[in-house]
This record gives sequence, C-alpha cells and structure tokens, in this order.
Amino acid sequence: MDPTIVLQSIVNGLLIGGIYALISMGLTLIYGIMGIVNFAHGEYLMLGMYSTYWLFAIFGLDPYISIALVTPLLFVIGAATQKFLIKPVLEASHFNQILLTIGLSTLLLNGALLAWTSDYRTVITAYATRAIEIFNVRIGIAHLSAFITAMLTAFAFYIFMSRTDTGKMLRAAAQNRDAASLMGVNVHKMYTIAFGISASFTGVAGAILMPIYYAFPAVGLDFVLTSFVVVVLGGLKSFRGALVGGLIIGLAESLGGTFAATEYNKLITFIIFATILLIRPQGLFKKM
Amino acid sequence: MGFGAGSKRVARYILLVIILASIPSFLKDDYLLHVMIVTFLFSYLAECWNWVGGYAGQLSLGHAAFFGIGAYASTLLFLGSGLTPWIGILIGGSLAAAFAALIGGLSLRLRGPFFVLFTIATAETLRYSFLTFREITKGAYGLLIPTLRNDPLLFKFLSKEPYYYIVFTMLLISIAVTGIIERSKIGYFLNAIREDQDAAQSIGIDVTKYKVLALMISAFFTALAGTFYAQYFSYICPDDVMTVALSIEIITIAIIGGAGTLWGPVIGGFVLVPISEYLRITLGGTFAGAHLFIYGAVIIIVIIFAPRGLLGILSDFGRVIMRRSV
Repeated sequence: MDPTIVLQSIVNGLLIGGIYALISMGLTLIYGIMGIVNFAHGEYLMLGMYSTYWLFAIFGLDPYISIALVTPLLFVIGAATQKFLIKPVLEASHFNQILLTIGLSTLLLNGALLAWTSDYRTVITAYATRAIEIFNVRIGIAHLSAFITAMLTAFAFYIFMSRTDTGKMLRAAAQNRDAASLMGVNVHKMYTIAFGISASFTGVAGAILMPIYYAFPAVGLDFVLTSFVVVVLGGLKSFRGALVGGLIIGLAESLGGTFAATEYNKLITFIIFATILLIRPQGLFKKM
Repeated sequence: MGFGAGSKRVARYILLVIILASIPSFLKDDYLLHVMIVTFLFSYLAECWNWVGGYAGQLSLGHAAFFGIGAYASTLLFLGSGLTPWIGILIGGSLAAAFAALIGGLSLRLRGPFFVLFTIATAETLRYSFLTFREITKGAYGLLIPTLRNDPLLFKFLSKEPYYYIVFTMLLISIAVTGIIERSKIGYFLNAIREDQDAAQSIGIDVTKYKVLALMISAFFTALAGTFYAQYFSYICPDDVMTVALSIEIITIAIIGGAGTLWGPVIGGFVLVPISEYLRITLGGTFAGAHLFIYGAVIIIVIIFAPRGLLGILSDFGRVIMRRSV
C-alpha cells in the first residue's frame, strides 16, 4: 500500500482521536471522583453541538467564537444535573445510579428529537474545506484546529488540576471522600464542579466538531460508546489514559477504515473493547 | 392462613385469565386489540428481562440483540428455505441463548457500569453488523414477510385474534417461569448474587454459572418475542428490532412496575404501553420519540422518589391501609 495513504490515515486518526480524548476526559473525571458512569455524557455533547448550530444559524456566530458561550452553558447543565438529579442518589445502588443517567440520556435525546426533529444540521464555514499539504498529506484546517483546541483544553485542565486549590480539592475528594470532608473540603461542591467541568468538555468538543461533523439527536450515542471504550482502555480513572486511549482508538478506527472498510469502524472499536476487557480490564494507566 | 387464602388467590388468577382470554370475543375493534397485543408483548419482554435485570441485578441494556436475533433467524430461515417460523422461533431462541452464553462468559465478571457498557456495545455492534452485511440481511432495507393468506402452519394469520392468543400464552408462560425461578434454588442464588456478589461467592455459589444461566434463559425467551414481532408486523429492519431504544423501553417497563418482582413487569406494561401507543396515534410520526421522552422522565422520577416501582408504592399503600384497619 502507498505509504502516503497510510501516513494520511495516521494523521486523520490522531486528529479525530484528540476529540475522542477530550470527550473521554469528561467521563474519566466523573468516574474518578464520584465512581459514577454518566450515560448522559453523549447527550451533553449533542446539546453542545446543537447550541453551536443554533448560535450559527440565528446569529451567524463562528463555532470557535461559540466556544465562549457553549462551554459555560454546558457547565451549568452539568452542575444542575449533579445538584438536582445525582445528589439524591449518591448513596443509592450502582444499579439505580446507572438507571438514572440512562433515564436522563433518554429524556434529552428524545427531547431533542421532539424539539428539533431528526434532520441533520450542519454549520458551513469558509475554512471547512481548506487544507494544508505536507509531504503529500492533506491536513484539513478545521480538523487541525479542532485537535489543537482539544489539546489546549486538556492542557488547561491539567494545569487547573495540578496548580489550583480547587484542583487539589477535587483530587482529594477523588482519593478519599471522607478524609477530604474531614479536612474541610466541601465534597458536594466539588462534585458539582466536577460535573460542570465534565459537561463543559463536551461543550468545547461539540463546538469544534460542528465544522467537521453534523448534529442530530442521536449523535451522542456514537461518540459516547467510543469514549467509553477509550476510558476503559485508558484505565478508568486516568486522564493520561484517556488522552492516550483517545489517540489509540482514533488511530485504530482510521487505519482499520483504510485497510478494511470504513463500515467496519464500529466492529474494530468493539473488538478492541472486548480484547481489553479480556486481557487487561484494568486498562493501561492506573493513576489519576 | 393456609389453604383457604391460597385457593382464593388461585381462583382470582383463573378469573383474570378467563377475562383476558375472552376479550377478543367481544372486543371487535382492531386497533384496541392491537394495543392489547403490544401491551402483552412488552410485558412479556419486561418479564424476561426481569430474570437477569431484576432477580440477578445485572442491568442488561442489550436485550434488543436477543430480540433481533430471534426476529432475523426465523425470518431469514423462512424467506431463504421456506422453513416454518414455528421451528424458526426455536432455532432463533437457541441461537440467542448461545449468543448469551458467549457474551455472558465474556462480560458477567464485569461489575456495575462496565457490564452495562458491554451489553450496549454488543447490541450496537450487532445492529451495525446487520446493517453492514447487506448480502444476507438486506441491511437498512429490512426484510418483508409477504402476507398472502391465512396459514396457521406458517405462523401467518389475517386476523388479529390468533396473535392475541399466542402472545397472551407467551405472557402466561413467562409469568409461570418467573414463579418457578422465584421458588427454585436458582431464584435464591440470583437474589444472593444481586444483594452481595462476593458474599454469594464465598458461601459457594458459582456466581458466573448462575448469571450466565439466567442470561441464557432470558435471551431464549426474548428471542421468541422477536419471531412473534416479525410475524405480527411482517417487516423487520435493524433500526426497528435491535436498537438501544428498544432495550430502554423494556427495562423502563420492568423498573416502573418493580424489578425483581413477579407482577412488576406486567403492571409496568399495562400502565406504560397503552400510554405510549396512545401518544403514537395522537401525535403521530411528527413526534416520534414522544413516548420515549416520557419514559426517560418516568425513569428519573421513579429512581429518585420510588426506587421500588409502582408495586412498591402499591404495597406500601396497602400496608398503611392494613395498619389503619387493625
């Protein structure tokens, strides 16, 4: 096979993998801190994409400008979820917690279907079709800027977690809820912040996806299933794992699409998922 | 209490069965009969899911896969080689049970959310495979079963009554199976696994074996409903019979009624299915998803305010009244 095609495929895979990583970090954050898997995470992404779409359709805002509005909006939605829905079931069984987020996911998905129909919505930008070429490999401007934005967001989050007091308190709450509470950390406030940040990742991801993808009510399911695989691959609670896992899954899908057929993407992701669960269910990385 | 109360209860059940069985003889409205058929079908599916999701406490969100296997197995065998769906239904059930054994072996050692994830991923992968391998499944076009004439030997009827009796019988069987499971040692083992898997393991229960067994039984019976669906609606496609939405409908019905109880799934079905059918007919195609929107809201409300479902509310209510009367 032509090495250029392989190289092109690798580049494409890494670029989309960066967005997978960003979405997955949101899931990792909630799971790492609260031990809850948020099945409505994909619907947050859907809301992020629709918000970006409507800001474009009504006000003509570029998706990259919309980041500044969509991210806080999703933060509020995430924080409200924790305050009004998750908090009452924090002490309930895993079974009920999962059901609750599945109920929320069903509600949001079908609410979007009722409000906005199942039509595919796209944002048309001048840069969507532009590309730069290096060694015969085409890199789409929209894909590249999405990747860079995702990585910058991840980096900003890393700085936040390691340098700020709130970041330290979040990590403390993750390590030991009771001990953190005894040290004066307001654990419920930390949970609310964590949920807000987790959802705002999907706000950023939703905005940067719009120039290269389309919004529809069930769009979240595709992305979130991939992200779940990324999270399991990365080791559930590890941000580095989510980052590396996102890039690996992006690469695997892209290379699989090149060597087999794009239609097999889902099968490849699933085979990876089943293999990790069998061989290394604890994932690649251990630490947060 | 003893014998008297028991036989009174049995008499009440028999009366209920007779009433439900006689409905088609006076209810001549095809649409209402259709609502009854769909209600029975979903109550049946919720009852089957209940063995895994309720009694064993393993939250499967992939039951649409078993349903789809049943629907496709009997239909492909019928369209391909003319095999009667009466045999196809059993082959579909067996294939689903085998599939359940495979994925159960892989996934049932996963705990909590990761088991749920695996079941969703499995069902979605199966749906994509059925959409992709068009040579066999016709992909998104789906399969059409021609309805030419009344042919009981080929599981094909022109009127709705025979379907009514078939699905009613299936529902009775599923309730009987639940009763048997509840009273057998399997039921106790599954309960023990749900309450505390490690403790169950430590007293010598082969946890994986019983979880896989429950999943296989559940898959087998769920697949039967798939064949019934294919014969009744005469058309199947992956986006109808293998969706996450279908799995969510099934579990909502079980949860609303009360998971892990004999009558919960039936009560859930009788409450929710007529409502969603009513919404479907009044709001129509423009509001596809209206009933699922309500299902989502209902799950959230039930989990926060009444985690034991309608049956739990009813029994609490009953206890209050009993206490007052004493």
